[in-house]
Amino acid sequence: MALLQIAEITKEFGGLKALRAVSLHLDEGEIVSLIGPNGAGKTTLFNCITGTMPPDRGSVRFNGEEIVGRPPHEVARRGISRTFQHIRVFGQMSVLENVMVGRDFRGRTGIFSALLRPPRVGREEAENRERCLEVLALFGERLLPRLDQPARELSYANRRRLEIARALVSGPKLILLDEPTAGMNPHETQQVVDLIRLICERGHSVLVIEHKMKVVMTVSDRIVVLDHGEKIAEGTPAAIAADPTVIEAYMGGRRRAQAD
Amino acid sequence: MRGLKSIMANSPVLLIIAAFAAVPLFVANMYYLQVLVFIGIYAILALSLNLLNGYVGMLSIGHAAFYAIGAYASAKLTIDLQLPWVLALAGAGAIAGGFGYLIAKPTLRLSGIYMTLVTLGFNMILFLVLQNWMGFTNGPLGIMDIPPPSIFGFALGSRLQYYYLILTLVLLTVFSMHRLMDCRFGRALTAIRENELAAEATGVDTTRYKTQAFVLSASYAGIAGSFYAHFVKYISPDSFTINESFILLAMLAFGGQGNLIGPMVGAAALILIPEIFRPLLEYRMFVYGGILIVMMLVRRQGLFGSRSYRLRLTRFDPSPVRVYQRGDKFLPEG
Repeated sequence: MALLQIAEITKEFGGLKALRAVSLHLDEGEIVSLIGPNGAGKTTLFNCITGTMPPDRGSVRFNGEEIVGRPPHEVARRGISRTFQHIRVFGQMSVLENVMVGRDFRGRTGIFSALLRPPRVGREEAENRERCLEVLALFGERLLPRLDQPARELSYANRRRLEIARALVSGPKLILLDEPTAGMNPHETQQVVDLIRLICERGHSVLVIEHKMKVVMTVSDRIVVLDHGEKIAEGTPAAIAADPTVIEAYMGGRRRAQAD
Repeated sequence: MRGLKSIMANSPVLLIIAAFAAVPLFVANMYYLQVLVFIGIYAILALSLNLLNGYVGMLSIGHAAFYAIGAYASAKLTIDLQLPWVLALAGAGAIAGGFGYLIAKPTLRLSGIYMTLVTLGFNMILFLVLQNWMGFTNGPLGIMDIPPPSIFGFALGSRLQYYYLILTLVLLTVFSMHRLMDCRFGRALTAIRENELAAEATGVDTTRYKTQAFVLSASYAGIAGSFYAHFVKYISPDSFTINESFILLAMLAFGGQGNLIGPMVGAAALILIPEIFRPLLEYRMFVYGGILIVMMLVRRQGLFGSRSYRLRLTRFDPSPVRVYQRGDKFLPEG
């Protein structure tokens, strides 16, 4: 059974159909890329999955359970975490605190235990910190030396890394990455590709929106192509690379491409 | 050994506490002590508002409403029900918190400015209720002869005793807020302020946290109200107008928010400035306004307006940070 089963999702903004009856599935342990020209509906699809913007019609089943209509924090609790296309780190909080927020829902400390401080609060905090450090260690020397720095002072690439760390730390079954390599140089991009593979090896499934073809082709098990809110193709990287409809969507018509 | 270490680590805080405890030895003047007591009351109020405006980033501009509820609840509980003050204090906190819940539950779905307007409206409505419900609140005449606080049969009388009582309350407020903000709860609130959408998407139940923060904030204000009622011994609706709420906002603006030091500094400054310039008679409000304007021009975030001003009263994990290698064990939890 598929880990994520999206069926016939439709989302409209006024007259604009952002998604038209899109269906796709993702199996456990898979890396699936979602590609398509700007405005194809990729981020909207992410928003529909995570509950940020529920779809008008259609269903999203995660682990066999319907998650449409659930608020985002419940979707996250069920094991889907995400990063954002426009980075959303908690600017004034330190790097470590940012990541610790990612494990908030695994915590048990409420108002009263925070005030009375039974020993388990300290244990929970220490364990939380430990696990955050482990995740931050995935990024080598990028984030670990900057634990106490406010997130807004980080470089662009490091803020992207921080978002990924925050999404990873709760141990999600599925992680949605929205353009994780945007604004990164080739060297940093390569590191992200390695990281995505590593994430997958560690037992998370990955759905990634990506524009850089090199990344898409090297990292994905399967590729899903969206254009104008419709799924126009799906398949292995090799099959997609040869698919005429995809080339048409991307290059704006075959004839013109041949004429050049 | 570890106890001693943590005492040493907190020594600046302990020194400040000792200094405040010693103040009456040097300040014998009753008027000065009275001013200090008021600074204490406003410090609690500003800290309670800071919980919302500073940490969660919800702008509440009618906070005097909860102050009023605490004051009236406490007066009513001690006069009509003959409850001892300690219970009335707890009751005032609980009742103000209850009202906070009633306001928060339906309005937290509203975003930003709409919620702000609700708090403003609540303050105005509450003022009208206090003003016109003759049977219960005695209207504009107010409630007189509120008994002094009695702690287990010992009734407070002198200014000095009030000073130590408010000092204790302020310390309890700071201590409890520090504990709240130093762990999961505080992190979640700050995350909501920094980026609500991201917090929600990472699994933070934002509505629940915001409701909790609102209730807590209201009960701290209620506790300040209770002390105020029993200190001044007379309350009337005039003490709890919108103007009062705005003074609290000005304190946060002046002292800075989002930490525990700024609001207290703001409260102290804005209580002291009118008192210091008393010789200028009615012109002192010019000075007051002028200082606020200059402050906003020179240092917009307030005197202590950053997260780096932190009271580190406790540390969870004193062990040094380990450096991890890329191949280290990391598995998702099942």
